[in-house]
Amino acid sequence: MSNIAGKAYAMNVITPIRWYKVWINRLIFKIALNKPSTLKGLITLSLIHYARWVIIPRNAFPHLDPSQPKENLNYAYMLFFSNFNGSWDQYVDSFTFAIPSGLDLFWKWNVRYPKSVPLTPFHNYIRHNQIDTSHYYSAYPMAASNDVKSAKKLKQALIDFNAASSNKTPDEFLVDYNRLLNHLQHDFGEMRPTPIVSLAAQAVKERFLKSQASH
Amino acid sequence: MATKSGNATALTVLSPIKNGAIGEMSFADITRERCLRLPIHEKSPLARVPNTYLARLFVLDDVFYESLPGSDSVFNFSDITSFFSDAARKAALPKKDHLQSRYLVFSSNFYGDLDDYLAGMWEKWAYDAHGNQRDIRYIWEHCVAFDQVNDCNDFIGYIKKCQLDASLFFNGSTDDSLQEQLKALYLKQEFTKFVVAHQGKSAEEIQQDFKTFIDRVQPENMDGPSWLPGQSMP
Repeated sequence: MSNIAGKAYAMNVITPIRWYKVWINRLIFKIALNKPSTLKGLITLSLIHYARWVIIPRNAFPHLDPSQPKENLNYAYMLFFSNFNGSWDQYVDSFTFAIPSGLDLFWKWNVRYPKSVPLTPFHNYIRHNQIDTSHYYSAYPMAASNDVKSAKKLKQALIDFNAASSNKTPDEFLVDYNRLLNHLQHDFGEMRPTPIVSLAAQAVKERFLKSQASH
Repeated sequence: MATKSGNATALTVLSPIKNGAIGEMSFADITRERCLRLPIHEKSPLARVPNTYLARLFVLDDVFYESLPGSDSVFNFSDITSFFSDAARKAALPKKDHLQSRYLVFSSNFYGDLDDYLAGMWEKWAYDAHGNQRDIRYIWEHCVAFDQVNDCNDFIGYIKKCQLDASLFFNGSTDDSLQEQLKALYLKQEFTKFVVAHQGKSAEEIQQDFKTFIDRVQPENMDGPSWLPGQSMP
């Protein structure tokens, strides 16, 4: 398994939902979609790159050929895929502490969802329904989601500063330069490979390096 | 449709894998092993597919039985039936589901248009496996009806048949192209180093070096120095 790509963790969770409750879940997602303020809590969790919820009705698993047996399911299924920074525990706990009611709203229609508080049953629920990733790719394994966001701010500030101040007198330049650093003080930071946070991910990395060396 | 959020697209693909085996290894396990053995980071075939932010592959073997207790009102209420008989209690338990096929799941978060992205997958996906060049067909080889995929248009059509719409897609990143994001990250890295190295230096020296720095990093030149997709070392 390889749930980790540098600083990003890939979570896959699949949970059953009674088919006659699917419309409620869809409605809630639709409201969330059309009223972005409902996603404020998620935005607060700035460790998330991207996350998605996909509902598969009982009869909607892809069927491509008569030779493929048709699914015969009692429940519809909800897929949740997330890309976040940090450890599994940090992520799951941050959901519980930051947006417990929002989380419950998205999952409460799922069979035997235990609610996000208290933590232990919620941890058990996610673990029980989680599937490991076989291959995970991040275009910037050294960067956290906050790095991507701060880099955007830094890039624009740097371009603006260069246009406005690079040809001033040295003393004026220094005043502007110090102002720039003050403005960007939360956005600096050298990025490096992540420390080992998962022995499984480390094993994948070592196997890869070994195969590269032997080839 | 919630599959798009700004310029980012959430592609969710479930491709059924043929039931059957080669020797003692099922097609699903062969597919899983191929996914597991893909090179990582900058060597991943996904690093070559334009505009891929983050993507993953795994095999969905089956769905799970909800055997754990939950605060589910219907089932908690049904526990009352245990007063009457154990059979009644068992009848009220969650039902058991099993999938008839196993599915190769591909999930990608990318920038831009779906057709362009899928064409990029078909054309650019490549990696070296111990001297053998592998293309995209190697991963999907044992999926149902994939033997009918012969060209880029077939591939786009095939993936669309396997595609599922997202009910909700949350984009917690910037809405810029990957090229723009990688350039910004490169600048962040380099400017941080510049600032640290120039602490306490004179105004003249900082200004002079800053000009040299700008000439080197070329902040507005997208085709100039930048990070490579999947770059794992500074």
